[in-house]
Amino acid sequence: MASRVTEVASRLYDACLERFEADHLFYQQDLLALDVIPKGEIDLLLKCAQSLVDQKLFRLHQGANNRLAWKIISRDDAEKLQNLSPDESLVYNVIHSSGRSGVWVRTIQSRTNLHKSILDRCVKSLESKNYIKSIHNVKYPTRKMYMLAGLAPSEDITGGAWFTDGVLDANFINSVAGYIEFKVSLRSWYEVPAADRGRGKRIKTATGMAEVKSESEKTYLPYPANYSGYPTVETITSEVNQSGITPVRLPEERVIELLKMLCFDKKLVALNNGGNYKSLKKPDEVKASQSRKPAAEESAGSPILGLGKNGMTESPCGSCPNIRLCSPGAAISPETCEYFDPWYEKVLGF
Amino acid sequence: MSQYAAELCALLIEDQFGELFARIFTTLQRYERLPLPRLKFYSRLTDRQLHHGLVAMIQHHLVYHFTSLEDGNTYYAANPQAAYYLVRSGKIIQLVESRLGEYAARVMETILYLGHAPITHLETLPDLRYLKSETTNGVVKDEEQEEQQVEEQEEEAQDFDQQAEEETNGTNGNHAEEVHQKPAPLHSTLKALASHGYILRVKDAHFQSPEDNYIEAHKAASNRSDIKLLKGKRLTEELLLKTEEILRERTDGDLSEAWMVNGMPRGVKRKFANGTSESASKWPQTDQNGANGNHADEDEENDWSEDEDGFDNIPMEPGLVLRVNYEKLDVALRNARFVEMAEHNALPATAEVYETLLRRIEYVTKRCRDTTEIPREGEEGEQFSLPIETYKIVNDVDPTLDLSSCMGPLHPASEPLNRRGKRPLENGVNGDHHDDEEDNADNEISRAYEINQHLQLLEQAPHNLASHVRLSDGIKWRVGFRGLARKLRHLELERLVEMRYGDVALRVLRVLHAKGKLDEKRLQEISLLPFKDLRQTLASMQTGGFVDLQEVPKDAQRQPSKTIFLWYFDPDRVCSSVLEDTYKAMSRTLQRIKFERNLRRDFLDKTERSDVKGNEEKWLSEGELEQLQRWRDMEAILLGVVSRLDDMVAVFRDF
Repeated sequence: MASRVTEVASRLYDACLERFEADHLFYQQDLLALDVIPKGEIDLLLKCAQSLVDQKLFRLHQGANNRLAWKIISRDDAEKLQNLSPDESLVYNVIHSSGRSGVWVRTIQSRTNLHKSILDRCVKSLESKNYIKSIHNVKYPTRKMYMLAGLAPSEDITGGAWFTDGVLDANFINSVAGYIEFKVSLRSWYEVPAADRGRGKRIKTATGMAEVKSESEKTYLPYPANYSGYPTVETITSEVNQSGITPVRLPEERVIELLKMLCFDKKLVALNNGGNYKSLKKPDEVKASQSRKPAAEESAGSPILGLGKNGMTESPCGSCPNIRLCSPGAAISPETCEYFDPWYEKVLGF
Repeated sequence: MSQYAAELCALLIEDQFGELFARIFTTLQRYERLPLPRLKFYSRLTDRQLHHGLVAMIQHHLVYHFTSLEDGNTYYAANPQAAYYLVRSGKIIQLVESRLGEYAARVMETILYLGHAPITHLETLPDLRYLKSETTNGVVKDEEQEEQQVEEQEEEAQDFDQQAEEETNGTNGNHAEEVHQKPAPLHSTLKALASHGYILRVKDAHFQSPEDNYIEAHKAASNRSDIKLLKGKRLTEELLLKTEEILRERTDGDLSEAWMVNGMPRGVKRKFANGTSESASKWPQTDQNGANGNHADEDEENDWSEDEDGFDNIPMEPGLVLRVNYEKLDVALRNARFVEMAEHNALPATAEVYETLLRRIEYVTKRCRDTTEIPREGEEGEQFSLPIETYKIVNDVDPTLDLSSCMGPLHPASEPLNRRGKRPLENGVNGDHHDDEEDNADNEISRAYEINQHLQLLEQAPHNLASHVRLSDGIKWRVGFRGLARKLRHLELERLVEMRYGDVALRVLRVLHAKGKLDEKRLQEISLLPFKDLRQTLASMQTGGFVDLQEVPKDAQRQPSKTIFLWYFDPDRVCSSVLEDTYKAMSRTLQRIKFERNLRRDFLDKTERSDVKGNEEKWLSEGELEQLQRWRDMEAILLGVVSRLDDMVAVFRDF
């Protein structure tokens, strides 16, 4: 009897392998419809199914209306699973069920009801066998989460294209943003053709309103207000993806995020309700500001202020950390202020 | 009136007028309205000092006085506005000089210096009698200073220049009398100033505080027989309207309308050298003439001064008492800031067109805003200027200004390049000679088109500096003052943030301003900043008072783990705190000047001795001269900072 069950079971498995895909959920009637079980013996089917589940070739599921359902497991995986201890296989199943979103250790514990030390041991051994891997969740950076080793974590977990190992990749963002700004800038300003420049220059100097520009410098002019050739989100996205500066393809939503960020930086400006984008700086200015090294800026002592200066940024009082405490006759007072003398030196040069 | 603003006003008065004024002023600020006996008691001054001081301060509008009809007492109160405007006088003189020339600036300076003055008095002043009168200018100034017991030198940066001028003139003083002295056109200059609205008629109500004026007007309104008949809601409404009306009647000393010539103030320095366009007096006809353009030739000879020679012979009413109209000057100064904004991110030609538009708007704008306080952000409605027709701008803009060659083509791909190359050339030809009538008309139309193009560029994001109204008879341009004033405020704040916290903070601030209250996670998603940077920036900005944190507990226990923390940026609050800091920085800088002067007291006393002054090179050693120069540089730079800080105060308080 037992051998018959094994034989039918193996035939059943082969038939399933043939008929169903790996992720297909099948029910009792599906198995009966395979015509493997002689005379549709429910009893025999039950035994076969049980034996297959025992051999880890089938995985039990709860389908619609609380009916029993199965999924097929490949022979390789089944071999892996058979080597696991019962606790380990329990843990493995929980992790497997979470798919690409991963599962928190505390959730595994509550689902399996295993003791923490046992769970830790299981997770450790599974990890060492390279069946599962630990992943980093952007939303809950402190949570320890696991998923199957062969899967790539979903975007919810990684946070999307901007994250590398769960951390916002500022360098990557800045390089893409810089690229976009430059590209948009090229298309937001009209570059006076070389042949035309001479004439334009002559007229300008004749009216005395523009300084003479050296020949190598390019002249950029703004387009009229109703110009419609400013780049759109689609063109920017395709340009970024073709440029090869991103290892992965950036979807449009990500590019929009980046464009919005650039708008907040007042580098770009959205026109027509975000349909088109225009750069505020001319291409040569963009290039100049990007090639400037932030470190050099700091060492020079005065960061270059894009917005210009006002009274408060120039006066020693404006940058004084103790202005709230300052009053005549007190410990910090205009008479004893130590910022004025260096300031005279800096401004007047004596 | 905040502590630091009060401190600043007292310092300014002390600097300008000496200790007596400052003593009276601070006493009045501290105790507010006082009758004379109480004022005497608190200030501990003698009757003589007090009377002299008060009279002079009333002359300068530094003190309001009000005689109550009920108890017959006269109350005195400080006028902090007038005290604060002392710091702006340099800027005002500079503005008048750039608009109306050196002589007008001198007239303005005299009026500023005297507080208010009747025209008959101005006529008698020797330094206003001649156009070129450098020597008398210096001497008279000094005499007056002695008369008025003003110990301190005038403090503005401009006065420095003047001082320098005086010195140079001192050396060649004997020479100046030979210089041909032309009698000065005092009356036409005054008319020019009046028509620009820079000066106004002094009325009795100007000597009383705005509150007193309001109460008086209210009383007068409620005593009217037609008001007495009303009841209930109608009564309050009507009363309010009438009060406003009476108030306006009593305080309005505007002279500009009386002296305007067809909507243009007199004495506008025109940019055209060759007078190709219609003169100011012909505005109403340009509607028809713009089209057929046969008009230009007849008017070619018109120059404003000649045109108005007829008017100039009619002197202004000699009994008229004049004072400076700070409200109007603030409008002009604000427009200058708008132009600066345009210059910052647009081409010079565009900025010039914009400036021309703003100049036109300035003539029809009386004050920066109607409410006394800047309304809260978000509750502030837009307030537009009167729209200005394009053709007026066309006529005002310098005809030699090259408008076409500084804009790209509309369709770069479809349009061949040589077409573009031709455009500036064509225009250069047309722009240079206007003998052909048809050419002229064409030219005007194309210039109107170009000017519209430039203004449209400014209308677009991110500038939003102008907006257009399309009417049946063409496009008119106007400016939304409140939005732009808000933009200026934010610009000043952002500059400060950029300097203190870097550009990352700037991005965070803008996100918070655009989106409202946000928790950290959402803020990160929008600003795309690493958590570490974001937290550091937010924390340092919170310490600086630029952003704030709101806690929203999920339950009654208010556990931190069950609480939502929202970051937000409240521009009103930040603006007012920055304004206070600015006042403080100004008063600290002034105190520092005082301190530095005290350090060099002996030396400076020597340089100010009457025999040394003006003859420094003769009496001072080389080292001393160098020391003097250094001191002057230092004082100039400190005063320069005060004036730059005043620019910020103007943005946060006056615009």
